[in-house]
Amino acid sequence: MARLELNQLSKRYGDFFAARDVTLDVADGEFLVLLGPSGCGKTTTLRMIAGFVEPTSGAVRIGDNDVTQLPAWKRNTGLVFQSYALFPHLTVAQNVAFGLEMRKAPRSEITQRVGEALELVRLGHLGDRLPRQLSGGQQQRVALARALAFQPDVLLLDEPLSNLDAKLRQEVRVEIRKLQQSLNLTTVMVTHDQEEALTMADRLVVMSEGAVRQVGSQRDLYERPADRFVAGFVGRSSFLSGSLETPERFRSAGGIAVACRPSTVAIGPATLALRPERVTVTPEAISDVENGFVGEVEFVSYLGGLIDLHVRLSPSDLVIAQIPNREDGFMPRTGDKVHVGWTVASASVFPGSGDDADSADL
Amino acid sequence: MATAATTAVSVEERGGSRLSAAALIGPATFIVAAGLLIPIVILFRYSLNKFVPRLMMVDALTIESYVKFFTDAFYLGVFFTTVKVAMICTIACLIMGFPLAYALARTRTRYKNILIMLVVLPLFVGNAVRAAGWMTLFGSKGMINAGLVGFGLVDVPVQMMFTEGAVIVGIIAVNLPFMVLTLQSVIESIDRAVEEAAFSLGADPWHMFWRVLWPLALPGIVAGIILTFILGMNAYATPVLLGGPEFKMMAPLVFGQMQLGNWPFGAAVSFILMTTTLVLTVIAGLSLHKRYRR
Ligand SMILES: Nc1ncnc2c1ncn2[C@@H]1O[C@H](COP(=O)(O)OP(=O)(O)OP(=O)(O)O)[C@@H](O)[C@H]1O
Ligand SMILES: [Mg+2]
Repeated sequence: MARLELNQLSKRYGDFFAARDVTLDVADGEFLVLLGPSGCGKTTTLRMIAGFVEPTSGAVRIGDNDVTQLPAWKRNTGLVFQSYALFPHLTVAQNVAFGLEMRKAPRSEITQRVGEALELVRLGHLGDRLPRQLSGGQQQRVALARALAFQPDVLLLDEPLSNLDAKLRQEVRVEIRKLQQSLNLTTVMVTHDQEEALTMADRLVVMSEGAVRQVGSQRDLYERPADRFVAGFVGRSSFLSGSLETPERFRSAGGIAVACRPSTVAIGPATLALRPERVTVTPEAISDVENGFVGEVEFVSYLGGLIDLHVRLSPSDLVIAQIPNREDGFMPRTGDKVHVGWTVASASVFPGSGDDADSADL
Repeated sequence: MATAATTAVSVEERGGSRLSAAALIGPATFIVAAGLLIPIVILFRYSLNKFVPRLMMVDALTIESYVKFFTDAFYLGVFFTTVKVAMICTIACLIMGFPLAYALARTRTRYKNILIMLVVLPLFVGNAVRAAGWMTLFGSKGMINAGLVGFGLVDVPVQMMFTEGAVIVGIIAVNLPFMVLTLQSVIESIDRAVEEAAFSLGADPWHMFWRVLWPLALPGIVAGIILTFILGMNAYATPVLLGGPEFKMMAPLVFGQMQLGNWPFGAAVSFILMTTTLVLTVIAGLSLHKRYRR
């Protein structure tokens, strides 16, 4: 395994940037996840690493080598395709052996390594089957074994779980992560599934419109989103648009004054982002929070253990709150007046007041 | 338990679809039977008759015609020339057709349909018209020779018409579109990601082709080979027009014999042609398939 570096990697189609100045540094044995909405350039970035898309500019380094000019077959990267792309005319064992055969490994070594790789994904008993005789989950594991058997420097996964049903996805998620950790694989995975990204990654990269928006741990992204896009994309946020009056006070367009932690955002038009589960909702006034307001419940969504509420604080300020389904039976209904509050540390402020500022990403 | 259930289901399915399957393949079967099998049987019967110059065909049961064919150096020469020309054309079509078919199958251009039309375009011109066209190009007074002589590169016109080479080139030109279209449709059905998977596993383009593309395209390769080989074996207009009076292949030979009124011998020659084509096709198909059969 090796370290992977992307340096100012860009891909332009005509005058459209599918990826723009992507700079990343993946440590040896690290699991990095590229996360972002559809069309943001995740696959393009991954394919530039694998050697299937030629970058317009920038460089890819694997270990100590600049591989930017190398064709895919000389890069020693293991790639798992969304469609698995198993060779339909070869058995499971022959599929897994392919990479070793291309590297002219001796027969005995191939047999041994294929056995180990299949054992690793718990498919040792199915080596003689053809891919079409396997279930989707089994095919996925064969694809993984095939990409690992020849000991690649970097493992690349492009939405490897998107063709599996929800339950299987959860299991395979854990399996891949365990495998990656035990083999100390330098891994880059692409997904647009947040939960997948959050549960598997050492570090996440949020992309949008071809560019990297933020790189960090789950906690970094969630607690300290770098911009409005990240705040809306990772987890959920309610957005209030308005302006920053002092470094520690935000006033919404609807006139609500919110105390927030001192930020570096310039005084002037700004957007406030608030995590739903940081908002407390009570029947009576709350005393121990800095920001307390009264609002009217507009919408209630019962999620079992949790309840989702949309509370309107002013004609132009809507806050989403997620509260536990409590034993005492506090169960607001549409039209109820409730008290809403959150601490100073709960909100983030970003420059500029977007027009669609009260839309929350779900 | 599971096996029993599947068996039951598939038996039921088969039973249910038997009738409709018969209805679907019925008309085609009838045409094949009436239009092909019956004439073949009659032809075979004719080939066992006797030819008497003044009485033409006399009912008999003799293998005289077959003996005549296989003992006469001239006829054997025609036979081997035909097989050789058909094989050369088939291999040339495969070698030239595969890259073309691959490019057509994988292109992302909007003009793909136009490109396909360009491949088929030669077929819009009948064999005879095309051959006439080639004469104007390759004849001793044709364009190429006129140019060569005009520039003083040669003193006497080069003999290009009425050679085996001209016939081979002519047949390839006719057969290539069939090979390309057959291969193209098969290559299109192969997932591009499978090729990329091979590359990512360290296969260079040659290994990718040989280990992945070729075996997956094999059904199309076999179909294309069969198609072009049959067309090559039975070529008529091209050998007659581009080969000239001296050059003989099997199909013109059959027709010549029948024109002479020698139906038994003509029938025997056609029967030999048909059987050879069939046997060689089956051998080629089986040997190609065996490598990858499991
Ligand atoms: N060959 C191409 N020619 C032109 N544009 C392309 C090409 N390939 C990709 N794009 C564009 O580049 C952008 C990024 O594509 P990419 O496949 O990397 O997105 P993605 O993040 O993987 O999205 P998804 O989650 O839907 O898979 C898209 O807008 C796409 O339309
Ligand atoms: Mg993608």
